Amino acid sequence: MSPDRLFDLANTLALAGWVVLLFAPRRWPGVTHVPRWGIPIALSALYAGLMLAYFDQAGGSYGSIAEVRQLFASDEVLVAGWTHYLTFDLMIGALMAERLDGAEVSRLVQAPVLACIFLFGPLGVLLSLGTEAAMRGGPLLRRIGGAA
Amino acid sequence: MTDVVLMPQARDRAVSQLWAFAAVSAALAGLTLVWMPFETRLIEGVPVTAKPLKFALSFVVYFATLALVVERLSEPVRRGLLLQTTVAVLGVCFLAEMAWMILQAARGEASHFNESTPFHLFMYQVVMGTGATLLVLGVALIGWIAGRDGAAHLSPGVRRGVVLGFVLSCVATLVVAGYMSSTGRFVGTPVTGATLPLLGWSTEVGDLRPAHFLSLHAMQVLPLLGLWLDRRGSPDARRILGRSAAVYAVLVAAVFLQALAGVPLRPL
Repeated sequence: MSPDRLFDLANTLALAGWVVLLFAPRRWPGVTHVPRWGIPIALSALYAGLMLAYFDQAGGSYGSIAEVRQLFASDEVLVAGWTHYLTFDLMIGALMAERLDGAEVSRLVQAPVLACIFLFGPLGVLLSLGTEAAMRGGPLLRRIGGAA
Repeated sequence: MTDVVLMPQARDRAVSQLWAFAAVSAALAGLTLVWMPFETRLIEGVPVTAKPLKFALSFVVYFATLALVVERLSEPVRRGLLLQTTVAVLGVCFLAEMAWMILQAARGEASHFNESTPFHLFMYQVVMGTGATLLVLGVALIGWIAGRDGAAHLSPGVRRGVVLGFVLSCVATLVVAGYMSSTGRFVGTPVTGATLPLLGWSTEVGDLRPAHFLSLHAMQVLPLLGLWLDRRGSPDARRILGRSAAVYAVLVAAVFLQALAGVPLRPL
């Protein structure tokens, strides 16, 4: 398959995972495991195959901007790198969704937070952890305030 | 010491929604803080991050205030369709406002008063304008609901403060912010751009934002006054609150008229 086709395939898989995470009910493990494990495992397999086959051919390495640019000059490694983002962002998104559920944060608030993880990974993670911390910290502050 | 406000009743959906809006707004304020050291762009001489930060902090206070009141309402009211719908609408408006404001700041463009393209005008006038209006109307609606809920866990002064403060906040904000949205923030043309620290209000020409600030915060000031009066055991808290609301309204009007006359607030 051409790198373009693989790129489309990875994007489609990841998007399907995000749609399930954002909109599907979370009562059934069969459904929640799709974005949490199923799709990330499939994407991981794609990543592993591409990296084993093309990393060495691409030349380059991780040590400097120039070496990383050299790696990404290979379309196959570029697709692998993109798949790396997609895989980890989705897994982290599923983890954060579970944590936000636990903190009583509704889907209405989760949707934009999870969308930020989808589009901007770590930025969304900060937003998610910040929201959870504020949600859990509020009652704590109140207990301290009540005791004073 | 007995808690005169009484402890909140059980948490449920409307309440946790309101706290979640406050929490996500606090997280957005934090996000703006990590953005600041990297950002160099200005809009009208002000760092692009200033506005998202001010609005995020403001929404934390706004939703925390609503949550503190709503969690003291009686269960049928809290679970009622009217309140649930109101809370959901407020959340959608808040999320849309913040998303557009942050997106525009990240593009180095103004979010309010941006009439550069039909789309920007639509976002400002229709999305932001409608959103802001609903956010303000929701305050009065929740104040009215709290006033009618006889079984609410609110002491008399707090209840009176909530009703008067929320309604006054809504009416005054609609007047001040409505006027400001049609004319711009300034009455006069700033030359040096001198402002008060942190608040960013002009110290050289009339600035409508101080009146906007005061009108918004009637919803905290009057309930807190009611709380203080109740804790002191004041017998005529209701009467004092009625007069205080009138005085507060006059104060807002005075600050508004001062700005309209082109006179800035000056630091003492």
